[in-house]
Amino acid sequence: MIEAAFFALLVIGMVGAGAGVVLLNRITGAALLMAFTFLCNAGMFLLLGAETIAMFQVLIYVGAITVLILYGVMFTPQRDRPYALFFQKQTPLAALFVAPIAIAVAVFSFSFRDSTAGPKGADLAPLATSVFRDFAFPFEVASVLLLAAMVGAIVLVKREDE
Amino acid sequence: MVPGPFGLDPVLWAVLRLVIAVALAAGLVFNGALAQIYLERKIQAIIQDRTGPMHTGPYGLLQTFADAIKLLGKEDIRARLTDHWFFLAAPAIVFAPMLASYVVIPFAPGVMGADLNVGLLYLTTLGSMTVLGIVIAGWASNNKYSLIGGLRSAGQLISYEVPQIVSLVTVVLVVGSLSMTAIVGSQPGLQVNALIIPLAFVTYFIAGLAETNRVPFDLPEAESELVAGFLTEYSGMRWGLFFVAEYGEVTVVSSIIATLWFGGWHGPFTDVHPLLGPALGVLWFTLKTYFFVLVFMWIRATLPRFRIDQLMSFCWKFLIPVTLVNLLVTAILVLAFPTSLVPVAIANWILLFVFAASIPFLQRRRLVSLRARLAAREHAVA
Amino acid sequence: MIPLGAFVAVSAVLFFIGVTGVLVRRNAVVILMCVELMLNATNLALVAFSRRGGIPDERGSVFVVFVFVVAAAEVAVGLAIILALYRNRPTVDVDEVHAMKG
Repeated sequence: MIEAAFFALLVIGMVGAGAGVVLLNRITGAALLMAFTFLCNAGMFLLLGAETIAMFQVLIYVGAITVLILYGVMFTPQRDRPYALFFQKQTPLAALFVAPIAIAVAVFSFSFRDSTAGPKGADLAPLATSVFRDFAFPFEVASVLLLAAMVGAIVLVKREDE
Repeated sequence: MVPGPFGLDPVLWAVLRLVIAVALAAGLVFNGALAQIYLERKIQAIIQDRTGPMHTGPYGLLQTFADAIKLLGKEDIRARLTDHWFFLAAPAIVFAPMLASYVVIPFAPGVMGADLNVGLLYLTTLGSMTVLGIVIAGWASNNKYSLIGGLRSAGQLISYEVPQIVSLVTVVLVVGSLSMTAIVGSQPGLQVNALIIPLAFVTYFIAGLAETNRVPFDLPEAESELVAGFLTEYSGMRWGLFFVAEYGEVTVVSSIIATLWFGGWHGPFTDVHPLLGPALGVLWFTLKTYFFVLVFMWIRATLPRFRIDQLMSFCWKFLIPVTLVNLLVTAILVLAFPTSLVPVAIANWILLFVFAASIPFLQRRRLVSLRARLAAREHAVA
Repeated sequence: MIPLGAFVAVSAVLFFIGVTGVLVRRNAVVILMCVELMLNATNLALVAFSRRGGIPDERGSVFVVFVFVVAAAEVAVGLAIILALYRNRPTVDVDEVHAMKG
């Protein structure tokens, strides 16, 4: 019962905040709502019993990515402008295409009637075994990707005259 | 569902338990902050050969209460151009994660909020959320000093998170668990982690100083450059909330040090009596924690502040390589000798001595290059 | 007890919110945020399916770890591009950037 109540709250938070990111005209507000969506998603992971993933979710998305995006918002200040100009010209067309697909997928996804009630917690050891044993090579490749991204980001923002 | 006492409805009891736990943690944090402000003033006074607060109450003990009441009674000032909701939200975003950290701190056997098996990861996660509040505080104040202070602080906290987490991982490698209870349980008697991995302790201590914005890393609040950093526009109890959060975080970091490296609640006479034992455990734990709080204050009265570029290069060029080497050596030795911790301890002590001995050497090299640059500049002017 | 379908439906809704944001917003930083929302929706679906039938299969969670890595790399490079763009012309509107249109 309590699980269902939590789930309902998280759904409201996630969908509401997600819609806010798209509709809000204040970009810092959108960034904070995005962080809230990430937190709600971590709550979903806790409901599913994946507590390690939930912790990593908060650590990476809320602690790092939101702060990076806020940096980006603060370094690119903009003039105020009318609300209508926040959206592209193709907005109605995009809505026309996205809405039917979204509704179809959401309805279809309710056909998964399997239970998710498994053992809660204790997913740390199996996760670690998987990452470092079965997926050791992709893990190394991921580290190379991070290194490349870091070098690329530094090269892109470095000024020429220094 | 846990049924409550006195035949209480389980749902009602769950809510009630949450309220009681939050009230307890908040009480701990606020009283701890009051005690620590008094201690800090007294200790700085002793080190600087003054007497500190003396007039309000015996030995000035009531001074911090008077200050707290003054803060609560202050007018709520908000500049007109501040960003309304963010300005209100920022202190809460800084305060709430700090309060939530108290869930996993093991005070004594059986005296803790929840024994998560990812307890240490939970603590680092909450520590990283503070950055968000500080950036927002800097942005919402609509003041260039606040903004620079907030951005500096974000850079500092994100950078020092790396050596902090790597130091914690070293402990986890030796202990083999992320659960705080298991970590305390692995250090009975004098076999504390501080004797096995002292270098990780030193690096974590330095990184912890930076994570809590304490001197010598209190750049975000550098009053000689930035007025008061992200705190500039805040006053009254909102400012007080930031302040309490800072002291709360110092306590959290100190209790992590006490738990991970100094055996947590372990101490003499903890197993004499089923009721007295946990009480003594809480006492030992509090004493160990407050010892490190006192060391933090001692450092504040002793060291000057870093410059921002020195702060960053110290982290990225010195602290992170040292912690990574330590992690690598520890991992190899733990794999090679799964039954004994003696090789890890020997290697760690050797690394610690190399670390300590390299500091004067590096200092001399820096001075030489600095003198060369100065000489070149003088030459150019002449 | 919450069925698997509920989690997947939430994930789908969040994903399409992200798609809509990418399609309709002008501001490049907001587009980046919406891409993050889409990645989050994927994470939720992956974790939900890894718990299918109550037997945890950690391979789904491993994929989530890789999504974290990709998301971090993506946001770092994306913001670097936006900053470089802003330095050349003070705008982050994606439809005002047509220097490479030929």
